[in-house]
Amino acid sequence: MMASLPRRIIKETQRLTHEPVPGISAIPDEQNARYFHVDVMGPSESPFEGGTFKLELFLPEDYPMAPPKVRFMTKIYHPNIDKLGRICLDILKDKWSPALQIRTVLLSIQALLSAPNPDDPLANDVAEQWKVNESHAIETAKAWTRLYAMKS
Amino acid sequence: MIVTSWLGYLLGTQVAPVLYFVLERTFYNSLGRLHVAADSSVPDQRNCTTACTMGNACLCRDQASAEEEDHGNAYTSNPQPVPASGWTNAPPVNNHTAVVTTPDQGLPGDNRDRRRPPRRPAPQPPVARVVGMRPRKVTIDELVLDTLAVIRTLVDNEQEPPYAMLALHDIAEKEAGWLSVVHSLINVIPMDDPLGPAVIILLLDECPLPTKESILKLSSSLSLCKRISRMGLQHPARHRNIAAVLGCIAEKLAGPNSVSLLTEGNLEYLLANLDPQCHPAVILHSIIALEKFSQTSENKATIAKAGVTSHLVILEKWVNDPKFLRRQVGFCAQWCLDNLFLKDGRTLTYESADLKGINVLLNSNDTSEYLKISPHGLEARSDASSFESVRCTFCVDAGIWYYEVLVVTAGVMQIGWATKDSKFLNHEGYGIGDDEFSCAYDGCRQLIWYSAKSRPHAHEAWKEGDVLGFLLDLDNKQIIFSLNGNNLPPERDVFRSARSGFFAAASFMSFQQCIFNFGAEDFRYPPPVNFSKFNDHAELSSEDKVILPRHKKLALLRELSFKENCCNLCFDNQADTELRPCGHRDLCMTCAIQIESCPICREPIQQRVEVT
Repeated sequence: MMASLPRRIIKETQRLTHEPVPGISAIPDEQNARYFHVDVMGPSESPFEGGTFKLELFLPEDYPMAPPKVRFMTKIYHPNIDKLGRICLDILKDKWSPALQIRTVLLSIQALLSAPNPDDPLANDVAEQWKVNESHAIETAKAWTRLYAMKS
Repeated sequence: MIVTSWLGYLLGTQVAPVLYFVLERTFYNSLGRLHVAADSSVPDQRNCTTACTMGNACLCRDQASAEEEDHGNAYTSNPQPVPASGWTNAPPVNNHTAVVTTPDQGLPGDNRDRRRPPRRPAPQPPVARVVGMRPRKVTIDELVLDTLAVIRTLVDNEQEPPYAMLALHDIAEKEAGWLSVVHSLINVIPMDDPLGPAVIILLLDECPLPTKESILKLSSSLSLCKRISRMGLQHPARHRNIAAVLGCIAEKLAGPNSVSLLTEGNLEYLLANLDPQCHPAVILHSIIALEKFSQTSENKATIAKAGVTSHLVILEKWVNDPKFLRRQVGFCAQWCLDNLFLKDGRTLTYESADLKGINVLLNSNDTSEYLKISPHGLEARSDASSFESVRCTFCVDAGIWYYEVLVVTAGVMQIGWATKDSKFLNHEGYGIGDDEFSCAYDGCRQLIWYSAKSRPHAHEAWKEGDVLGFLLDLDNKQIIFSLNGNNLPPERDVFRSARSGFFAAASFMSFQQCIFNFGAEDFRYPPPVNFSKFNDHAELSSEDKVILPRHKKLALLRELSFKENCCNLCFDNQADTELRPCGHRDLCMTCAIQIESCPICREPIQQRVEVT
């Protein structure tokens, strides 16, 4: 539905292009204006520092009444992100508000990288590691960042 | 309806019925309140904070338990692979039941185009083993063919997936298994099954995403190049499958991994496949693969630089070829030249398209996003993995109306009638006939669709060149579908929920294409009743008679400007509503009535008051 693309999406896209968020890029797909190719830089002082994480973001038919669908495409060792890249984040589920936007969602995800929450895990084994041996978990997260999120 | 992928596009409400978890449990995560308050439009998170600390009965945990296998160790030995898509109700498939063929078996030495064996019953479901039956040894090739054989019977997202698919999914969890599955798809999917390439998409969608290493291994084991392309004439099915596999993976991995898949050899191979001497099916899927690679801009530049357009301008001439396979090649070549790989000095087809005498088109503003509509507006095709839909530009409320469709591909399409209320849920696999406001004919699976339920009909399966007739009799409230002039009994169900406002409409599974005739040309099988033609009653301004290429359309959208004081949610209407008791404004009534709590402060809304 190209011409019937909601103005809301056009507006957000324009703003993302003209006032990009530092450390985050979200580029609409050439074929599908509801699909965004996203790069999130790992936040400094986190195990993900130095990595660039690819995500995909899709705005469903009923956006903004329903949240965007977001998924990590780059492998990441994080207790709230599972191996399919799915993200455990309340604002993407029951705490969604139509006043939130693509940019705020991506900022929240970047914040999630700074503050993993093993008490609310999506990846059980990772969360377990995070709780039992945090420093080891952080080392693993750093190693994965080097392995999957940095250009060789 | 088509079963898009059990894994679903992403986790979300639409996937919920697919997962066997109880998704109704609420879940909280304390992280939503972090660091986002800097943006003025972020809702006040205070309420959230209290909720967040209440508990961590995260539904995700249930899902995670179904996926206890470590992301990172996915390729190390794992005695009990667990299906990652969350099929917790199915016992894990024991590795020993599947004889994993080594990747070598799929190497270029083994080039026979194996024929599809006669249809046989699906293999014993794993349950049989629980009661002590001896497991039958099943090869990956057999599992792939089993999937192909049962794919027509999959009509419901909530249906249990066939055992063959579950088993393949498990095998593909490990790198060696994934490679074997891919090689098997290449080796055994036969040429003559109209759903062959679609099954490649379906199965690869089910499998985990390959790593960069797997991709490199696949590339090196196929060792594609110009020379290999020449073998396509002897083994067209194999080479069509290779192209389809490459395209599918390129699409799934859009980004850096798609760049690493487009090796010099793979690019050379795909371009060599565009030689008009190659088998048209190989050419077709090579064009589509290049199109899918181009979803990554770096690849797009590489492909353009390699001179793809010079091949496409030759193939574009096949766009009206009487041979349907060549016609598909022409369609895709032209679409690429108009939308993707622009060539200096070439006129975009829409600029020179002659639409004189044509008063009804497929509506390019009333279609799901991936459908390809020809510049003449009467032919459509999908190469996406979603279920793409479109309505025509003309709407009828009374009388008797008839249109025809020429079948170009014999795979799954659902064609018929729909009102504006019918939704195009392309990513969920729902289209025309999948709600109560539409009714559709599916000649591949031989079904009539209404309200997402299907019933078999008496026609034989459609084939290329067949002509479908669609008669809508609003006086007697009935729809009559016909195949080459043979009528089915009237359908009446849709009139329970829709009385008027009907459009011709259709949905397309991957790689399907057809041509519409709304009466600008003579009908092949006019029904023996007094009917009207859309084309005689409709009118289109010259402005509306244009099917713009996507890049042109997006450019127009980017220039759109916004009024002052418009609703902060939809940006369509004036902000004219105040929410009480919180007092927040900046939104319109249309949006306000869709929400129960204030989008800014989350206070429950008791009253919506119009303010000017």
